[in-house]
Amino acid sequence: MALREINSKMVEATVVPGQRLFSQRGAMLAYKGDVSFTPNIQGGQGGIMSMLGRRVAGEATPLMTVEGSGTVFFGHGGHHVQVITLSGDTLYVEADRLLAFEGTLQQGTMFMGSQGGVMGMVRGQVTGQGLFTTTLKGHGSVAVMAHGGVFEIPITPQRPVHVDPQAYVAHHGDVRNKLSTALGWRDMVGRGSGEAFQLELSGSGAVYVQASEEKL
Amino acid sequence: MSAYGPPGGAGPVVYDPMTLPVDDNVNKYTFCVELKSGQWFLQKGKMIAYYGAIEFNGIGHGRLDRLVRTSFHSPLHAIDWVVADGSGKMLLADRAFDVNSYDLDNGNLTIRSGNLLAFQPSLTLKQSIVPGFLTLIGTGKFVAASNGPVVFMEPPIRVDPQALVGWADCPSPCHHYDHGYMTGVMGGLRAMTGLGGASGEEHQFEFVGAGTVLLQSTETLMAEQATGAVPSEPGVPGGGVPGGHGQPPGAPRLPGQLGDLQRRFGL
Repeated sequence: MALREINSKMVEATVVPGQRLFSQRGAMLAYKGDVSFTPNIQGGQGGIMSMLGRRVAGEATPLMTVEGSGTVFFGHGGHHVQVITLSGDTLYVEADRLLAFEGTLQQGTMFMGSQGGVMGMVRGQVTGQGLFTTTLKGHGSVAVMAHGGVFEIPITPQRPVHVDPQAYVAHHGDVRNKLSTALGWRDMVGRGSGEAFQLELSGSGAVYVQASEEKL
Repeated sequence: MSAYGPPGGAGPVVYDPMTLPVDDNVNKYTFCVELKSGQWFLQKGKMIAYYGAIEFNGIGHGRLDRLVRTSFHSPLHAIDWVVADGSGKMLLADRAFDVNSYDLDNGNLTIRSGNLLAFQPSLTLKQSIVPGFLTLIGTGKFVAASNGPVVFMEPPIRVDPQALVGWADCPSPCHHYDHGYMTGVMGGLRAMTGLGGASGEEHQFEFVGAGTVLLQSTETLMAEQATGAVPSEPGVPGGGVPGGHGQPPGAPRLPGQLGDLQRRFGL
């Protein structure tokens, strides 16, 4: 595994020749050895079409390619960092939460409407994800940023998980999500509990939640 | 284990003057200093509470002149520092940043001026040659804050200027510029047009030699004090007002960078 947490806000990445690493631009804290940082016009992997797709989808975070041999330390903005290791499944995460990820992972963009039609699009608006979100698929590790500490909640078919849309960070596995509303007359007269919208995740996998309702 | 209460979870720990730790952390974010008719230097506004009879005097003319003369050699900073004098216990904290104390034993350590909270007068404070940094020399204890825990590294290492907290025992760092991707045909095109942007990692501080480098895990800085602006004298590098030579303030321009034009397009 190329990424390793040093403390709650810093990750260490080992770079070996022939294996690329992508990271958010400007997120390098320090490095040892012979490492080069190249800004990535395409904002990640794939060809020109992938790049266009990301531009249109608004998921084009400024990324850079990290190559060479050595050790690199990443951290950004004092945000907490969580390393997620993927073994074949897909991680759904907002592109600006990506701190660094291994080049072995396949990056893609997903239309929120493809999961639940119009409600999926509404869900994207409520969670602040917009209409599109980024997917990472394959084997490798990802460092994801969050405001406040991150905890992982497993999702099993018997136990769906409800998450505050603002505290949602990422999820992986075979998970269906839908926006559940608990709107009542109180919300109409402005005396709501402030928890009218929840993200319901069901299936099998895991969801990552941050201990804050602040967006990055 | 919770930092805020006993393992049983019976609620928060209540401290009184007897149970407060002596020259130690109360929790990750608060440090307690005990004064026994002694003195400590501290940065203005970092004291959050105190027990006992402690006086806080600004550094200036008066009875503290001798103390200031022997252990405070930074006229630029005089207005940001006060001397705590008396007996009691005082708590230091800074915006929920992690606070830690460090012991120097006949050593030297250079630290970013905004990160230093307090120090014992047995240490001597001087301005580092590197602007924005202060050097502590001697034997004693000091307290410093960092965004996230401090990570200690051994040279050789290259560090993002914003992530650097300080360094001990090693020679002063030098600048390292890294813009290999801007060379060659494609690189030149990139530099000319500004397309593709910059990686944001073209400039680091490079440390060599033996010693320890202190890193914080973020690039968000604490408010920086305009320090190290040395008087304009012959033989003093960087003397005078920073950026007073027609060069815009901030990082020196890299070869091939468009500067104003590039900034205007937000690249």
